[in-house]
Amino acid sequence: MKKVCANWPAEAFISGLVDAKHWQAFEENAKLAAAEIYKVSDYKAAEKTLKDVLQEFSPKEIIAVGGEENSVLAGIYSRLATDTTKVYTEKFDIAEHAPSADVGISTAEFGIGETGSLVVDNFSYEARVTSMLPFVNVVFVNANYMVENVTTACQIIGKVFDKGYCGFVTGPSRTADIERVLSLGVHGPNRLIVIAVENEGGEN
Amino acid sequence: MAERNLKKEIKAKLQDEVMQDALSRFADQYPGSRLKSYAGQDIEALRESLRCMKAEAVEEIDDLADKFEENVKARGGVVYRAKDGDDVKQFLLKICEENGVKRVVKSKSMASEEIHLNECFTQNNIRVKETDLGEWMIAIAGHKPSHMVMPAIHLNRYQCAEMFEKELQEEVPGEDIPYMIQKARQTLRQEFLQADMGITGANFGIAENGAIGLVTNEGNARLVTTLPRIHVVLIGYEKLIPKTEDAAKILRLLPRNGTCQKMTSYMTMVDGPTPVMYKKDGKWVEENRKQYVILLDNGRLEAAHDPVMKQVYQCVRCASCLNVCPIWTLVGGHVYGHIYSGGIGAILTGLLNGIENFSQFSDLCIGCRTCTTVCPGKIPIPDLIDELRNRYVKKHGVPTMDKSFFDNVLNDRGLFHKLLLKAGSVGQAPFKSGKFIRHLPLFFAGMTKGRSLPTIAERSIRDRMPALEKKNPAHAKKKVAFFSGCNTDFVFADTGENVVKVLQSLGMEVVYPMAQSCCGKPILGVGDRETGKKAAKRNIEALESVNPDVIVTSCPTCAETLSETYEKLFEDDPVWGPRAKAFCKKVREFSSFVAEEYKAQGKLLPTAGGEKVTFHDSCHMKRGLGIYEEPRALLDATPGVELVEMKNCDKCCGMAGSFGMKYAEVSIPLLEEKVENIKATGATTCVVACPSCMMQIGGGLDNQNTGIKVKHIADVLAERL
Repeated sequence: MKKVCANWPAEAFISGLVDAKHWQAFEENAKLAAAEIYKVSDYKAAEKTLKDVLQEFSPKEIIAVGGEENSVLAGIYSRLATDTTKVYTEKFDIAEHAPSADVGISTAEFGIGETGSLVVDNFSYEARVTSMLPFVNVVFVNANYMVENVTTACQIIGKVFDKGYCGFVTGPSRTADIERVLSLGVHGPNRLIVIAVENEGGEN
Repeated sequence: MAERNLKKEIKAKLQDEVMQDALSRFADQYPGSRLKSYAGQDIEALRESLRCMKAEAVEEIDDLADKFEENVKARGGVVYRAKDGDDVKQFLLKICEENGVKRVVKSKSMASEEIHLNECFTQNNIRVKETDLGEWMIAIAGHKPSHMVMPAIHLNRYQCAEMFEKELQEEVPGEDIPYMIQKARQTLRQEFLQADMGITGANFGIAENGAIGLVTNEGNARLVTTLPRIHVVLIGYEKLIPKTEDAAKILRLLPRNGTCQKMTSYMTMVDGPTPVMYKKDGKWVEENRKQYVILLDNGRLEAAHDPVMKQVYQCVRCASCLNVCPIWTLVGGHVYGHIYSGGIGAILTGLLNGIENFSQFSDLCIGCRTCTTVCPGKIPIPDLIDELRNRYVKKHGVPTMDKSFFDNVLNDRGLFHKLLLKAGSVGQAPFKSGKFIRHLPLFFAGMTKGRSLPTIAERSIRDRMPALEKKNPAHAKKKVAFFSGCNTDFVFADTGENVVKVLQSLGMEVVYPMAQSCCGKPILGVGDRETGKKAAKRNIEALESVNPDVIVTSCPTCAETLSETYEKLFEDDPVWGPRAKAFCKKVREFSSFVAEEYKAQGKLLPTAGGEKVTFHDSCHMKRGLGIYEEPRALLDATPGVELVEMKNCDKCCGMAGSFGMKYAEVSIPLLEEKVENIKATGATTCVVACPSCMMQIGGGLDNQNTGIKVKHIADVLAERL
């Protein structure tokens, strides 16, 4: 998958600025923005959480990105498919099924404590449609990759952003254009579900 | 340019109950929600860092634009510099023709509204759809947005449903907002998927890498920049910033001020052409999207090189200046006539759509300065409006009425007083009740609708001064020149007398130079700087002649004019410049000067209990001079009074100089709100430190028979000497 930066921790992260201690602020602010947060110890627990979460939606079609870069995720995606659930991970398949898919699964590079935002590298077309077109967007992020505020986030992005498409996602799509009443899911997802993995190298 | 009947437009808006209800609820909730979103943050430090970054950016705008262009091109984008709207349209129609574009989706582009782009597409048989829900609805109805962030805030759900019905040709229940949202999603999703071209604006453009940033909640900008095969960016020069890091300085304030969110749902940065997939002959292909970046001038570059107007580059289009504007919250955005409404809208309209359009509604800024307390870029909005008024007058002259009245009447005190008494004797005799005029006959009636007007003092302060000066202390601590201002001279002469008594009680010698005249604010306010200078010179000469230690005035507007405006008026004048500067240094507002002297004399000590009083902050005193603690300390130190604060104690009472008379229909609702807030405190007296507010609030309290008195702080202090 095409990315702004192939390896954010190695090339973009600034030492001392990325720290698990900002998790609490991230979780609190992300929830305030109506994101649903699950923190899990490792990918094994993540897979169970994902399957539990998906039950609510009984998805017929899932589109998922991030498997190319992360073989553990690829494994999880392959095990989501059932007789009634199709999972698409190849880019043209994703493009074909994005308008009808029920759930999109994607990844984020790090989180921001101040705002509860996920920083996403969306250079590829498939990453963008996966996170935007279905009603449900599940996002995997490393729970230790957290920064304090938007200033530090932009410093990190500034190190590697030379071309492409990236940004922040903070909760689901929302509008208050009618009588200032908050409504979710106007153009993008109405559910943003974050699965934060504490120990990416752990049991999977 | 069509002549507008602004008063008629205002009247219609004031009668629009749906809008009135929506705006008043919003105005009530906004300040608290905004502050909540900043919890734990140093707002002033964040504002200053944004101001600094943007102020530096405009200094090097030509370089930034060159770098931005170079970097977009290096990444494969096409850059076009457009001098105005026609230029943009020609360029876009050419691209549409070259690429066979039949359908366009748009997101986040005020600039395209500014140049009426939609009309151009429609005329050329290109289907164009706004994708922001509010803008989409508004466009269906053929309306204009009334707010930069909440375009449909003036409508209720039933009116929105009517727009849905018009577009979808089916019944849409107005009570069901979630249903409407889902209908919009389905309808617009098809527009996104079928569009040939996506047009966005930009919240910022980054010179170092050619990226643009888009801040949205709905996610429509992400779809507009993802699904169509062509992406057009329409970006004004004022959006350019040097580095990616600098975006943080905008992003930490814009969502908080704009929608009271720590961050919007989506912040998207697009740098150069990005991949897009589509079906070619039944097979999916991937290629780079075509990207065109149009840098729009339309008056912006001239503003960038203007020593005063360049400050508009500090605007990030959060619209918080509207949200706190007492006039906007009454009349809504449409009366501002163009795309950009409110205070900043007036300025942008003047710069981008011409000063003549600006002049048609420039009265709507009352100079209360509330916007300056929240603006993320710290733009002195009322000062820029004043500057544009000055320029309009330079170009088109002052309305003869204003000028001859000022020259002949305001400057001639004797004539002024006679005229007032004469006018008063016509109106006053049959209509007077106590110190107020309840009604005026015929065409003056509008002025007394909702408020009583004060009667004219039979003996002006200047007539009383010779007797008062005889009571000056023998060994004076300081020599004080008293500058009364028009209201205190002719209307509140009793208050003027109390000012003198309080100062004398502090051991001051008080003198009243008779040659003083109006401070000049009324004529400076309409933009006539030359006549204003004449008034300034006359006053400087008059007050200098008695060689005072201090110049005291009990009117904060006069204080601001004398201590700040005079210096600015003569800053380029080698003779009057230094003279004005020395003069300005001596000018003091009454309550802050008295508080300082009380403190020095050990008299500024809190006392407990007594008559309940509440204090109203005048706009010019609180936000112009930064004085609000001193009068409260004086009230705390006054035996027998207890201060209770009212809700929105520093919100404009609606007088704002002559505005309250010229636009009675807007002034009176503001006054009524003020009177309600005063009544709710249970106070028996409302204390003010400004004669203009005293006239307005006193008139409102009398009109409603509240029994609550209005007093200047000098009156309260003098009563207990």
